[in-house]
Amino acid sequence: MAVSADPPRVFPVDDFVREELYPGYRQAFGSQPFVAGPVRPFSLADNERYWLRDSLHFSEGMVPASISTLDDAQTWGAQLGAEIVGVPPTRGSVNRLAGTHVYIGTIDVDTQWQVQARAARFGQYVSPILADFGSYWSMRAAELIAAYEHFDNLDLSAMSPAELWTVLKDAYAFHRRAWFIHFEVMYVLTANYLAFYALAEEIGLSGSQVSSFLSGQQTFYSRTDEELWRLAGLARSLGLDPALTQGSPADMRMRILALPRGAAWVAEFDSFLAVYGQRTEETCRIDTPSWIEDPSPALYSIGTFLAKPAGFDFRGARAAAVLERDSQIEQARRSVNGSDLARFNQALASNQAANFAWWNEEHNYLIDRRAAIPVRRATLELGARLTDSGRIADPSDMFFLFKPELIEVMESGGEGRWADLAAMIPDRRAYFQHWRERGPSLPTMLGTIPDTVPDPIMIEVFGLSGHFLETLRAEPAGGFGTGVVEIRGFPAAKGVAEGVARVITTVTDLHTVQPGEVLVCGGTTTEWTPAFGIILACVCDTGGSLTHAAIVSREYGIPCVVGTAVATTMIKTGDRVRVDGRAGTVQVLA
Amino acid sequence: MARLGQLASTGWRVPDGYAITAGALEGWLPPAALAELHRLFSAPTAGSAAATAGADYSGHQRLIQLSEHARQLIESQALPSGLADAVADAHARLESRTGRGTALRVAVRSSAVGEDGRAASFAGQYETYLGVSGADEVLRHIAKCWASGYSAHALDYRRRFGGSSPLRAHDLAVGVLELVDARSAGVAFTLDPVTGDRGRLVVEANWGLGESVVSGQVTPDYWTVERGSGRILERRVGAKLVWSVLAGTEAAGAVDGGDDGAGEIGAAGARRSGTVLAPLPAELAQAPCLSDDEVRYICRQAAAIEAAEGAPQDVEWAVARDLDVPDSVYFLQHRPETTWGATAPESAPAPAPAKSFDPVQYALRNVFKVPGT
Repeated sequence: MAVSADPPRVFPVDDFVREELYPGYRQAFGSQPFVAGPVRPFSLADNERYWLRDSLHFSEGMVPASISTLDDAQTWGAQLGAEIVGVPPTRGSVNRLAGTHVYIGTIDVDTQWQVQARAARFGQYVSPILADFGSYWSMRAAELIAAYEHFDNLDLSAMSPAELWTVLKDAYAFHRRAWFIHFEVMYVLTANYLAFYALAEEIGLSGSQVSSFLSGQQTFYSRTDEELWRLAGLARSLGLDPALTQGSPADMRMRILALPRGAAWVAEFDSFLAVYGQRTEETCRIDTPSWIEDPSPALYSIGTFLAKPAGFDFRGARAAAVLERDSQIEQARRSVNGSDLARFNQALASNQAANFAWWNEEHNYLIDRRAAIPVRRATLELGARLTDSGRIADPSDMFFLFKPELIEVMESGGEGRWADLAAMIPDRRAYFQHWRERGPSLPTMLGTIPDTVPDPIMIEVFGLSGHFLETLRAEPAGGFGTGVVEIRGFPAAKGVAEGVARVITTVTDLHTVQPGEVLVCGGTTTEWTPAFGIILACVCDTGGSLTHAAIVSREYGIPCVVGTAVATTMIKTGDRVRVDGRAGTVQVLA
Repeated sequence: MARLGQLASTGWRVPDGYAITAGALEGWLPPAALAELHRLFSAPTAGSAAATAGADYSGHQRLIQLSEHARQLIESQALPSGLADAVADAHARLESRTGRGTALRVAVRSSAVGEDGRAASFAGQYETYLGVSGADEVLRHIAKCWASGYSAHALDYRRRFGGSSPLRAHDLAVGVLELVDARSAGVAFTLDPVTGDRGRLVVEANWGLGESVVSGQVTPDYWTVERGSGRILERRVGAKLVWSVLAGTEAAGAVDGGDDGAGEIGAAGARRSGTVLAPLPAELAQAPCLSDDEVRYICRQAAAIEAAEGAPQDVEWAVARDLDVPDSVYFLQHRPETTWGATAPESAPAPAPAKSFDPVQYALRNVFKVPGT
């Protein structure tokens, strides 16, 4: 490129700068950044639709910066995915915020022509992907991994604030892209899964069995759990278990390092973190650290496992899960006749090759729990520079700025704005804390409870079954109160167990779960998985056949009932409960 | 065990030993003990002592109690005297053949009929005990093998896959094999167990007995070898902090083994007698535990075992101290590889002549209910 000292040539726009174009024109007419609708607070019009509290993914509330990452993910990503794949009945999910807490709704496609047009392109888009899903997912995964390598290898500490801002913009762009991939794949796999589900029902099997047919595959998270158990066993054989089971995790590392052979164990733990530690505790929450930054969750899991001296027999459990799966498939094959059998086998083969039950767990390590880490790292590093130059009081203040505010001050010469922004941060922190405390008391659903929900994702992943909706409609204004002895839900993993309930509303309380208890919660995600090695059974308010808790319970061989709508409000910690995972019932005994 | 016999007869080096066949063990349990077992597992009868034990067979806690009770009962029974005499004779002959006399240490291995079967794997349901010495101890451990079929895990397994009766007859044989004085030991997979790639074999190994590798208590040394060429594609020295050694030996140091191996981390099938996990001497931790020649030889033999079996295998082996390859390498056990073997082509449905099911069209019509599709 030639170097020139000439000033850049400008054709000024000044003559055309105005508030109005035609009479009555408003700026908003030209601004449609969303396919269907961005994250917003509730408005009165929202009373006419249903809104489900998404405590499954976001149990603790969103800081301002995480509202932007939520916007990229469950809002924009889902809407773009539904649009491009052409899912006929839904334009994806849309979010509302109650204070700081996330509610999810869906946008139905409500004209016949649009449904037909989407159906036509849906087939064109999905068929080639399902025909060779292995190659397709490898390609997407390789794209994600290449991006992580790029961001992980940047030496942020050597960068200027301007360079860090560029990295942050790149990280945001990548975050959006990752979430489009998420929903593109999810909708494709959902169609495959639901076709199998509907076929099973048509030929006289139960659709709820289908996810069992697809179980028994190892995922990144089952390998993580296996590694955690291994590290627990190693700690025991090196005599380090007291240091891991006593005291707070905060200084655990130092206490272990002080012991003979402690350094060897810590080295082993660090190489575990290098592979498995690129994960945060909640989706989109850029205010939560990764395990590499704060390994407390991993150390806590190891401490919990040490409380169960017999260990957990992964090989045995997996072998049992595989055998159980294969025997169920054989039984199903024996029960259907000739032409149905051929269709059953083809649907099974299609789902084994493009397996939603597997992907639903596996993708978290490449997307949900990792995509926001580059944003977090660049945000905190930039925050450190801004702290040094006196713009903000602490790097974590950055979490309390909205992305458009940051863009304004970083890009538009809004230097003078820093003082105004910094002045708002203490009030924003107080606001977050206020809503964090209100979180557990927020209703499961807001707006108008529908009779049925057409979006199959809402049914199979979030559990909005007819029964769930009926239970919520029947709830008296003051709640059910006590004295109810039986709760019904979706039979997610078979078996019967009786034990003492432990009711948990956020993953941060997971460490209170004791071996042999029955876990009762809103819903579970990857972060909850280690608990499945020690609990007797699992009961959730939300969830369907494809829910995390359902899938993991089958792998661990414990009974599970999901989609009860009311378990966490009607069961108290300490209650004796009996869980029947085949019948889908939970009895409160005392 | 039958497989081990096949290995020996087809020329693979296996440890010397003897076997107590399933037939010889059938019905060994005295009638009174058998009746007690039946009481334990029968439906509850009000007021009887068994009612408490048998009340809720589905609860996991209950299962653990039942299991403990059944195992103690079985382990306290003496084997019939005829059988005991036969074992004592066979053991004396083995002591003399191996030239080790009463210093001989053996592995007492369970082998349920069907245990190694592809479809109905009972893998890991029965236990194996290492480092046992003397005929009396062997007899005691034969009863323990039998009793291990009543572990909570095995009961649960049978409850789920073996019909309703927890008392389904055991078809259990027991092998008693000289314990290889292993310098190094581990597992060879005749495919890549992570990716399922059949073009490569994988070897995982540690110093000492193979138990530290099998039970997953170390990050083992790791090699991948190209099938055909035998070229070593990858080699990684693992962070081997501990090793499995016989209790009471110098290497075990101060780690207290105890009869049931207090140093062990007990997964079902990994509970061993007379071995402990001990810290590995620092000079060994960083060193690979096999030479390249040993790795290649193990892979060649594992591939030959796979060819004889007709399906991917995982093969347990040990390299004896003070011998050179190939004489040093013993093959201890092999079974079909379960993760990928289970979905191997022969178990998959025969391809249908034409596609009668299109998931996309079916979803549009029956899931999304789009008119006209």
